[in-house]
Amino acid sequence: MSNSAITPPPRALVVWMALGKTLAELRANRFLANSKMRSALAILIPLSLLILLAPVLPLQAPLQTNLMAMMQPPSLEHPFGTDRMGRDIFSRTLEGVKISLKVGLSVAALALVMGMILGTLAGFFGGLMDRSVMVIVDILMAFPSLLLAIGLIAIMGTGLVPVVMAIAIADIPRFIRLQRSLVLGLRTRAYIDAARTVQASQFWLMSRHIVPNSVAPMLVAASISAANAILVEASLSFLGLGIMPPAPSLGNLIREGQLYMEQAWWISTLPGVVILLIAISFHFLSDGVRQALDPRTRK
Amino acid sequence: MLAYSLKKLLQLVVTTIGVVTLVFFAMRLIPGDAAAAMAGDTLSGAALERLREQMGLNEPLFVQFWNFLRNLLIFDLGRTMTTNLPVSDLIKSAAPITLSIALATIVLAIAIAIPLGTMAAYMAHKGHKTLDNLITGLAMIIALMPSFWTALVFLLIFSLTLGWFPASGAISWDDPYSVMMRLALPILVLSMSQVAILSRMTRTAVLDVLSEDYVRTARAMGWSELRVLFRHALKNAALPIVTVVGLSFGNLLNGTVIVEAIFTIPGIGTVLINGINSRDYQLVQVLMIFYALLFVFINFATDILYRALDPRVKF
Amino acid sequence: MIHQGNIPVPLLDVRNLRTEFETDSGTVRAVDDASFAIMPGERIAVVGESGSGKSAMAMSILRLLVYPGRVVGGDVLLDGTNLAQLGEKQLNALRGRTVGTVFQDPMSSLDPVMRVSKQMVAPIMRNLGMSYKDAYAEAVDWLRKVGIPDPERRITAFPFEMSGGMRQRVMIAMALSCRPKLLIADEPTTALDVTIQAQIVEIMKTLTTQANTAMLFITHDLGLVARLADKVAVMYAGRIVEFGTVAKIFGAPCHPYTQSLLRTIPSPTALHPARLPQIPGLPPDMKQGIQGCAFRERCAAATEQCGRDTPKLTDRGVNHLAACWQPEGLAGIAQEAAPRPELRRNDSPFRDRVIVEINNLNKHFISSAFLSRAKRTVVRAVNGVNLRVRQGETLGVVGESGCGKSTLARLLLGLEHPTSGEIFTEGLTQMVFQDPASSFNPKMRIRSIIEEPLIVKRKGDWASRQARVEKLIDLVGLKLNHLDRFPSQLSGGQLQRVAVARALALEPSVVVADEPTSALDVSVRAQIINLLADLKQELGVAFIFISHDLLTVRYISDRIAVMYLGEVVEYGPADLVFNSPAHPYTRALIDAVPIPDPVKEARRSSAVLQGELPSPLDEIHGCAFATRCPQANQRCRDEKPKLRQHQKSREAACHYAK
Repeated sequence: MSNSAITPPPRALVVWMALGKTLAELRANRFLANSKMRSALAILIPLSLLILLAPVLPLQAPLQTNLMAMMQPPSLEHPFGTDRMGRDIFSRTLEGVKISLKVGLSVAALALVMGMILGTLAGFFGGLMDRSVMVIVDILMAFPSLLLAIGLIAIMGTGLVPVVMAIAIADIPRFIRLQRSLVLGLRTRAYIDAARTVQASQFWLMSRHIVPNSVAPMLVAASISAANAILVEASLSFLGLGIMPPAPSLGNLIREGQLYMEQAWWISTLPGVVILLIAISFHFLSDGVRQALDPRTRK
Repeated sequence: MLAYSLKKLLQLVVTTIGVVTLVFFAMRLIPGDAAAAMAGDTLSGAALERLREQMGLNEPLFVQFWNFLRNLLIFDLGRTMTTNLPVSDLIKSAAPITLSIALATIVLAIAIAIPLGTMAAYMAHKGHKTLDNLITGLAMIIALMPSFWTALVFLLIFSLTLGWFPASGAISWDDPYSVMMRLALPILVLSMSQVAILSRMTRTAVLDVLSEDYVRTARAMGWSELRVLFRHALKNAALPIVTVVGLSFGNLLNGTVIVEAIFTIPGIGTVLINGINSRDYQLVQVLMIFYALLFVFINFATDILYRALDPRVKF
Repeated sequence: MIHQGNIPVPLLDVRNLRTEFETDSGTVRAVDDASFAIMPGERIAVVGESGSGKSAMAMSILRLLVYPGRVVGGDVLLDGTNLAQLGEKQLNALRGRTVGTVFQDPMSSLDPVMRVSKQMVAPIMRNLGMSYKDAYAEAVDWLRKVGIPDPERRITAFPFEMSGGMRQRVMIAMALSCRPKLLIADEPTTALDVTIQAQIVEIMKTLTTQANTAMLFITHDLGLVARLADKVAVMYAGRIVEFGTVAKIFGAPCHPYTQSLLRTIPSPTALHPARLPQIPGLPPDMKQGIQGCAFRERCAAATEQCGRDTPKLTDRGVNHLAACWQPEGLAGIAQEAAPRPELRRNDSPFRDRVIVEINNLNKHFISSAFLSRAKRTVVRAVNGVNLRVRQGETLGVVGESGCGKSTLARLLLGLEHPTSGEIFTEGLTQMVFQDPASSFNPKMRIRSIIEEPLIVKRKGDWASRQARVEKLIDLVGLKLNHLDRFPSQLSGGQLQRVAVARALALEPSVVVADEPTSALDVSVRAQIINLLADLKQELGVAFIFISHDLLTVRYISDRIAVMYLGEVVEYGPADLVFNSPAHPYTRALIDAVPIPDPVKEARRSSAVLQGELPSPLDEIHGCAFATRCPQANQRCRDEKPKLRQHQKSREAACHYAK
């Protein structure tokens, strides 16, 4: 390369090159080479496909009752059996998974963004900013998380949005703490000092050095948080404090089956297995992200 | 030690005040007000106004707050909406049940998880991956099982099918055996997930300590593996484990609410859910404070224990 | 000594020892075919760079390696018993009893939640069959022998209540208390300051001589080898490449690696040293199997045979073995014809403009603990410092940890604000940091790292910035393709070059280098020092070179400032300060530095500076050095000496400066 002849490449080209590079890295080994990530995707991808394809699959609609086929055990026609109103548990479960994923991803996204912002500000600026954020965090963390969510539901009422809000509020303090501790660790790194010797702005330090280096552990935490949110939503729904029936959230399905445990074990048991699978896949995802984004594994 | 305890006590007091304030003002955020929400469609006009008067909602906010604080301090917690029982009596009868479940679970979980986690760590340290993978893998799956689901499955198997444990019935402290049988399943369900969490944490803590230089020193001095493990590794790993036990107590309290609902046990959790369903906000706010203070106190206790175990902590 | 007829039987006989580490990317043979013997009471040093396998070899002897490392072959005969055939239980009976061990990092080698007494007494009771009371008295006695003041009281302390030097003394006391026949010491002084190191080395030497304890001493410091050892094993890439008496290794080395290593160390005596000879390249990647001689790619004498066959240790005279196909290593190869360029000294006082002036600079850190009985404490990290740096000059700042040299650097860069005093600088100040691993944002490519100062300062457009970056990377001796790598893909030495490039991006007038070579291996160190020396000459940049390594500072600096407890105690031209120090602390510091020359080491007095740094919290009225100074009197303790002109070109802060 000669020095004089270079001109900046067009913006679009830069973007495409970056995209290509990312894809190449994906292919090469960064993500798919690690087994945890593969197992996570092996559960999540078929599940997502099933949800997307549910309307065109030969399945009874989730809310449609059929009094001719009540409480039927699992069969080819009804893979997960039917409930006391003859509704197909499998299609209801798929609908429930949809709700679960919505809750899990929204909570994780909310907690990640809020935790990132408040944690960075608290850790980076310290002083009054830090103290006021941490006072709120400490008070919120004095409540066991599910109980805080229950209390918030009591105030905000039930439904998808309040449930997401309640779980997120219970989760955000943990993210703030994590991000703050990451920032405190990064703040003393020599490369921050190096940038400060050329009088880089606070915004530059945060956006160029602090945030990029704290994203990986925060993403790991976020995928655990997604798994956790799915479990909490199911618990809330199970207690009658989450998504209201007839919407078939997974917690609702198990709650409805509770009364018929002896006669129809499948109503509660099978959706429970699905919750477990989703939770496990998000945990695999977090392990996978951890491995993939660890700079030590980069070759 | 004294200065440290005082400092932690001060933190406890500050957090307590924060918790009480937060709960009080959060309850004022209810759309309309607590009285209207409680009454729903049943009351209107003058009757609703009377309820407001009764709940003290017409007083200025700071007077309400002051009364609230004063009543908390003298343990005068009002009466429930539906049954008109003193809330303090309700707590006195429900709290021992919830606390017994929590305590028994913690003890059981520690007794199982610490040896299990230590064993997994030791195996991993020595490069015997199979047993370690088995323990950690199982622990992860168990930790992620929704506790209400596990409870239902246990109920189905051990109570309904095998009939080993009663699925319902009153709890009378005069008959310890029946209480034990009645609480056995909930405790089992809760300790499963606690064991899973604690054994994973123990494994990490012990594994970290085993790669420390002072463990190598102990080996170089010719101490046997068992002595190295118990005298040096576990003693040092106890520090992070204590912290984790304190924090996982929060999870445990979450779990009690669920198992109480499933096994119809009249603990604090059941009272809370009933309170929410009957929109008894005064009851709900007292119970939220109860849970938070319990959790805060446990964390205070673990801080003190940590200080007692680690001579390095000054402040 | 055990005798078998007239042939002495070795205490430890290691034969064909092989150790491997299982890693994700393959098996690393950390120790390959190592054989050597130690006679009773003999001191053997094992030298090598990081990754050469020297620690792994020491740990393999008693099979103290943990997973993923394991001994895969060879025999270890201790007193005639083959350790390779013993079980864990039998080995445990020997560990601590027949063989004592001292590790590198005293801060982490003692159990933090156990009192020193407990850690020391139990092994004595077990191994020597003493009662608790006797063992306790014995432990106190050993603490006294290793120079711990007030041992009756200190034995009840927790390790965290002691300094690093004190903890290392405890480790040595612990290792020697069971009267082992062999002491294995793995870099026992690396983490310590040079004056403390001198004390510890002296103690180890005295105590092992008294008890006729043999010693296997692992180090990377050739100076320490010369001071302490009878014989030396030089390791490179897992193999012992040369073995012999100290006199042979330092006087007539045979292996090209040993020969080059000895040349890369700055000489303590030469008045106008030449450019440092350097070993090109990097140690080999141990994960790839090595065929032939591992050193061949860095060796000027390498032939075709070196790439094909691995040389074995062969006799090179009495008590001297080397593993090289060339009979005399590099000696038979014609050296570069061109004479090495002389390093220009720049120490005449009126020559150039002063570009940095520091006047009465103070930095005090105040800490107050809430609800604590301790009162508010003040640490005087930098205490009344006056210094000047001239254009194109290199000022070396030396001192031990806690002397305030790093705080001074941070003040110069504006990373800390002075409590009082002034710093005037002409032009920009930039920095090269100590630890290459944390100096760079791991998420940024080298290109963006060097470009960052230019972007922040809005210098030039995209094209001109790229041109500048490419010029800089060339200037520090790296290639263009390094620009697209991440920091984790570069070695420590390469990263320090990048650090220099980043520091030079904005054409500063002064570059502060805080211990820029201390994290690097000996063979790479010379490369960086030469780079800095070249840049100084080519660009006319002034350097402030901060280090605890006296030989390096003296080599690269025009002037030296010696710091002690936040104060400059001596300042003057490098050669003058080094050859005839005026301040007793400077003298002590220079005496403490081990010199890689066994003849000179043998002639040096063994008088070492006693005591440790006073706590920085103490209020000091008189001379800060009075607590350790051999010549201190009442005046020194009462009256603080000022830094004053002494002879014509230097300053010293001592009432009795000669």
